[in-house]
Amino acid sequence: MSFKDRTNEFHALVERIQQRTQSNTQERRALLSSSTSPSKPDSQRHHPRSEFSLMASEISRNIAGTTAKLEKLTKLAKRKTLFDDKPVEISELTFIIKQDIAKLNKQIAMLQDYTKSQKKNNKQVTEHTSNVVVALQSKLADTSMSFKDVLEIRTENMKMTKDKRDQFLFSTADQGQDEAALANSPLFKSRRRPQAAMQDATNQPYSQQQLQQQQYHQEEEQESTLSLGIPMLTQQQIQQQQAVADQDQYIENRSNAIESIESTIAELGSIFQQLATMVAEQRETVQRIDQNTDDIEMNVMGAQRELLKYYTSISSNRWLIIKVFVTVIFFFLLFSFIM
Amino acid sequence: MKLFSISVLKKDPSSASILTSQYDLSSFGYFQRGSVKEFMDFTSVTIAERTSTGQRQSVESENNVGHVYAHPKGLAGVIFTDKEYPSRVVFSLLNKVLDEFLVKFPTDRWQGTLDFPELASYIQKYQDPKQADTIMKVQNELDETTAILHKTIDSVLKRGEKLDVLVDRSEALSSQSKMFYKTAKKTNSCCVVM
Repeated sequence: MSFKDRTNEFHALVERIQQRTQSNTQERRALLSSSTSPSKPDSQRHHPRSEFSLMASEISRNIAGTTAKLEKLTKLAKRKTLFDDKPVEISELTFIIKQDIAKLNKQIAMLQDYTKSQKKNNKQVTEHTSNVVVALQSKLADTSMSFKDVLEIRTENMKMTKDKRDQFLFSTADQGQDEAALANSPLFKSRRRPQAAMQDATNQPYSQQQLQQQQYHQEEEQESTLSLGIPMLTQQQIQQQQAVADQDQYIENRSNAIESIESTIAELGSIFQQLATMVAEQRETVQRIDQNTDDIEMNVMGAQRELLKYYTSISSNRWLIIKVFVTVIFFFLLFSFIM
Repeated sequence: MKLFSISVLKKDPSSASILTSQYDLSSFGYFQRGSVKEFMDFTSVTIAERTSTGQRQSVESENNVGHVYAHPKGLAGVIFTDKEYPSRVVFSLLNKVLDEFLVKFPTDRWQGTLDFPELASYIQKYQDPKQADTIMKVQNELDETTAILHKTIDSVLKRGEKLDVLVDRSEALSSQSKMFYKTAKKTNSCCVVM
């Protein structure tokens, strides 16, 4: 094998790469300098765009940092040891991640407002900015979805550890309920903020093209916040370890009682409906009876009239009857004379 | 279903002391009452100490149950009942009593024994949980209404039968009256025979 001295090529490559990166930084410096010198009209156009790209790049960097923290949290939450649980760390991490997500939300909302205020004739610029914003929002939504999954895993693990612990230890020892409650209330409060911020961020459609995209996104993010809300609550319940069983019992009992009341009321409603139907059916029968009685009345009235006429005719026809009687007596006398 | 006692305790993180309590021990024999009362006081202090804030617990022993609720504001309420008494009603009663207590006595007056006559009225009222608890009252009224409605439907069915009978009779009467009318008409318009 013969050696080939390629160090010169290597040096040339390195220099080229260095030049390339230098030119990149020079470009960036040029952009930055143009953003700080607002006098030129040309740089005026660069100004908002580069500021936009600055904000966008910062947001994406934050998202990447949050994702890294989330991975750490996932690793911590997946541990299934009985005693070495480090709940403080986990709750701290969840708190930090929550705050990051809230901050990112606000930043994206600000970015969106910014782009909205930059009404340009250049359609492509607006399209580009809106696409970037949508991409950032989708990334954030992915992060929050994975956050929610991690929280679900965590609650399941806590349930499992609690069951195992109940099997081995019978104590009803206190567990610093106040701290847990306090730790939960900032979590609770910070839950409200991302919910509100996400709704604000997604409630501003600004062009017909992106309207549908925004709506889809709104549903997605609302779903993710809503499902974010629920695992937070169950985590809160499970963190009060011993109280869970009794609290659940009491609350379950109450909800059962109220559910049974609700079903009774529904039953009552159906019974009333049945009653109404039956009475409506009987209405027809009643109408028939009504008609029949009207007919009866008519017939009886008519018959009475006829009889009345008959009576008057009889009382006025007396002379005819007398004449008929006279002829009858005449024939009777005739027959008696013949006999 | 009996309610034996209600007591309100002041609860520090490590200890508890009774602030006020009322008893209804009429179901125990006269000589047992003193010891039962002492036992209940001791048990209520013990279980209140062992309950963490915001937690509800029920402790069973032979035929009786002690329900305890530790209010987050440093109070605890304990109620002793027999086993049949529904625990939901007990806890809602505890909530009510503790809230009233908090309204009546602010934090600085929690020493020694206090006078809370409403407890006696509550004991009397809640001897029958079906009347006192709102949810059970509503359920009862709904059950009564359902029974009344069932009876109503039965009577509506009977009414339907009677209406059918009426229809048949009215139809018969109608045809008879028609015959009557025709006959009368016939006798009137026919020939002038006798």
